[in-house]
Amino acid sequence: MSNGFSRRDWFRAGALAAAAAPAAHATPTPGQRGGKRAFQIATNCEMCFWRCGVLAKVQDGKVTRIEGNPQHPLTQGRLCARGNAGQFTLYDPDRLKRPQLRVGERGEGRFRDISWEEALDWLAARLQELKQKYGPESVAFFPHGVASTFFATLMKAYGTPNSAEPAFAQCRGPREVGYALTFGRGLGSPEPLDLENARAIVLIGSHIGENVFTSQITQFAEGLARGAKLIVVDPRYSTAAAKADWWLPVRPGADIALLLAWMNVILSEGLEDKEYLARYATGLDELRNHVRPFTPEWASKETELPAALIRETARAMAAARPAVLIHPGRHVTWYGDDTQRARAMAILTALLGAYGRKGGILLPTSFPRGGFKLPPFPEPKRGRADGAGERYPLASEEQGVTNGLVEATLTGEPYPIKGWIVYGQNVLESIPQRDRTLAAIRQLDLMVVVDILPVEQTLYADLVLPEATYLERYDAPHIVETAARPFLAVRQPAVPPLHDSRPGWWIAKELAKRLGLEAWFPWRNPDEHLSKIIEPLGIRLAELKARGAVAFEGRPYIELRKPEDGPLFPTESGKIELYSKTLKELGYDPLPVYRPVADPPPGWLRLLYGRAPMHSFARTENNALLNGLMEENAVWINDETARAFGLRDGDRVVLENQDGQKSLPAPVRTTPGIRKDCAYMVHGFGQQAPGLRKANGRGASDTGLITRVAVDPLMGGTGMRVNFVRPLPPDGMES
Amino acid sequence: MARYAMVTDLTKCVGCQACTAACNSEWDVPPGYARTRVLPTGAVGSFPNLRSAFYVAQCNHCDDPPCVKPCPSGATFQGADGIVKIDKDLCIGCGFCVQACPYEARYLNPATEKVDKCDFCAGRLERGLQPACVTTCTAHAKYFGDLEDPSSEVYQLVYGKGASRIESDEVKVGPNVYYLGSKGEPELVAQTFPPRQPRMPSAGQWWERALKPLALLMVGTTFLGQAIAFFTQLRKGEPQFDD
Repeated sequence: MSNGFSRRDWFRAGALAAAAAPAAHATPTPGQRGGKRAFQIATNCEMCFWRCGVLAKVQDGKVTRIEGNPQHPLTQGRLCARGNAGQFTLYDPDRLKRPQLRVGERGEGRFRDISWEEALDWLAARLQELKQKYGPESVAFFPHGVASTFFATLMKAYGTPNSAEPAFAQCRGPREVGYALTFGRGLGSPEPLDLENARAIVLIGSHIGENVFTSQITQFAEGLARGAKLIVVDPRYSTAAAKADWWLPVRPGADIALLLAWMNVILSEGLEDKEYLARYATGLDELRNHVRPFTPEWASKETELPAALIRETARAMAAARPAVLIHPGRHVTWYGDDTQRARAMAILTALLGAYGRKGGILLPTSFPRGGFKLPPFPEPKRGRADGAGERYPLASEEQGVTNGLVEATLTGEPYPIKGWIVYGQNVLESIPQRDRTLAAIRQLDLMVVVDILPVEQTLYADLVLPEATYLERYDAPHIVETAARPFLAVRQPAVPPLHDSRPGWWIAKELAKRLGLEAWFPWRNPDEHLSKIIEPLGIRLAELKARGAVAFEGRPYIELRKPEDGPLFPTESGKIELYSKTLKELGYDPLPVYRPVADPPPGWLRLLYGRAPMHSFARTENNALLNGLMEENAVWINDETARAFGLRDGDRVVLENQDGQKSLPAPVRTTPGIRKDCAYMVHGFGQQAPGLRKANGRGASDTGLITRVAVDPLMGGTGMRVNFVRPLPPDGMES
Repeated sequence: MARYAMVTDLTKCVGCQACTAACNSEWDVPPGYARTRVLPTGAVGSFPNLRSAFYVAQCNHCDDPPCVKPCPSGATFQGADGIVKIDKDLCIGCGFCVQACPYEARYLNPATEKVDKCDFCAGRLERGLQPACVTTCTAHAKYFGDLEDPSSEVYQLVYGKGASRIESDEVKVGPNVYYLGSKGEPELVAQTFPPRQPRMPSAGQWWERALKPLALLMVGTTFLGQAIAFFTQLRKGEPQFDD
């Protein structure tokens, strides 16, 4: 900084200093903000889906600062980088500002500004047309998260069963299905994990630290500080691996082999929680027989980990039981056998007696809620088009299979899909095989995007509706039953919507009015909606809005349960199903079976991807503060591999995948902290959206390189770690 | 009088940069700059026997701060509580303190053309709040308090748990930011990011960045003053003497 400092600059600095001195007292110093028109609003964050409690400080009508809300029961005042940077998304100059109707070709990005009146009338007319011509099932809905509640109601009332969010088939789906098969219920979000009380924590591909959910980090760090042993299974030396007592750089795809060997050690050495299993589990004998051949020596060949290390870590877990937290992971769609891997993790948890126990997985606690009595939704004439419940027998019919809807749109089977409404998700970044998604979009009669920013998918929309950010709108309350203390938290605006943006609830309600569906929106305003929900909670609306959240007594451990909590294990047998009859009847492996995954051919690397703590998906790269913390991603390559490719740290490369797909250039980070057969990058970069002036074209996109997927036959999830890449010099550069 | 200090537990820290973001937001730090930074050491060693840690870097409010002496305008000073502050009204943006700091904790803010750095959130302390980085830290890895108060957390961590400072044999200026770690993280950080020798301004730099501009400014101000006086008088007219 001191180098490029010219005399002129200096003089200007001096002169400015002299000129600015008297005025400085009139302007409030940063950090000492206050004044007459200052107040703060308690709400919850939407920079990611963890929805930490925040206090938005408003001065002279502007959000100047966001801090954690100490009264929030889960996050207790802590807030990550993204949460601290929320106002930079609110005031992002690149935001979508008014409704736009496409005038050019799809993808060209030529639009004309229209009024909300015109936009909503136009959309309602298109939706009525599609309903008459093809039936309401021909419209598919792609939502994400709590904020989409009102749109979800609208789409159900309209009559389509076709709704799918990437949170299932591109993220948590296999885990939800695997744990539900075993314990009778999935895990949900936020995950019910007793990290702070664990005496051993096992992370299998979970990169806590780089993947930041505030309270999970707090509890993880607290658990470690209290002396929990940490076992990290990851091909990459992650932040968590650096904190681990044992790092197991597993051969990618061999996790099930490792899990089976761990079970083998625990069962063959009699280290399992016998009392717990006798009382709560079925299928132990079948499991014992099943894992007998899978010794650490056998697994060592598959995992490329020393057998002694596998034994040692299994014993460490057993020594800590039942306070063993085997983290179920979050983004777990890797190799197509993901539900079975989740099953193996659930079974291991059960062997250690760690489900419903202190330091393990917490049991959820319900609390009463009110609500409006809505008319029944119309029964769709045709079933789901995405294969949920049919082709993918265990897929969630609530969350759906996004890739199933893409497929149905492309093929017209089982029936034509003619319209997409995308709300709060980014289909080109979240669903793999972009070319297929784009081809599907090009076939549509109607493509509508409701978004905050001009992300790439908006270029393909017929109608773009600018939504207000989370700091400018009400949403349905965040209801969490999976925390040690269940709670309800409010989302309320700190400032009115900027530009000509509108909150999602308003858009849905206005559309409902035009479609004759207002019976499903029987409230006049969000306050009325919220008041009804909190009626049985014994808290006044004003108090709730001042505090931001209300928490209740939780009963997360088995010994605390009451009859009203229902069965401990709501499976068919009422017990933990180590052996799954459900899977057997469907024709799948009733106990997890390891099947090797193909290794990359020589000269190729397996593409791995993950998260950075200062970004969420492809959502925050254009945020000025966060962009300042990380403006592009790097490609991690093992230092020896890099040498073989003739690459040095910081060299810019293009990645090419097995199908000839190329990324945008990104710098290489050479490190001993990754296996020689892998390349790693942070997801969310390499966006191709000229309207995002900070994010556009920066870094490499993993999604763009994921042209192949291994579909999980149980639930339709897209395993995405089956793509191979090699680094090339960027076009036009000498190698 | 207090002696303020910060302790960061590097075993807890996950390098999430919540501290940097909170600080940037609290103090309007321009994108790409920071008063507190998180620097990864990267993986050190050979696969699979590796170590790594995060260096949470900020002003150390040193007992013997090398940034104070080279400041030509007296803008940088140390209070009785040990906090090294910058009087923004006096700062001429010469950057001598930036190059003097062994911890690279200072930056020249391009928006204000003044030097800026961590002041332990002095503005928040006055309001009875903790520094922004401490309250937001997702891992509860940061502790702030008075080292002269035996009941304070920082006192316990420094004198009871042996939190250490980032120093080298060459540079010992009494930093008041301490680091804890059960896996040798502070040592790894100190090896990777050793403090550098304070660089004092040369005679040439003094002329170019301090004396000459100051002289020009004074000349300019003199002319400006003359001009203002002239035009003021022109507007008011010649004073009348009625004797």
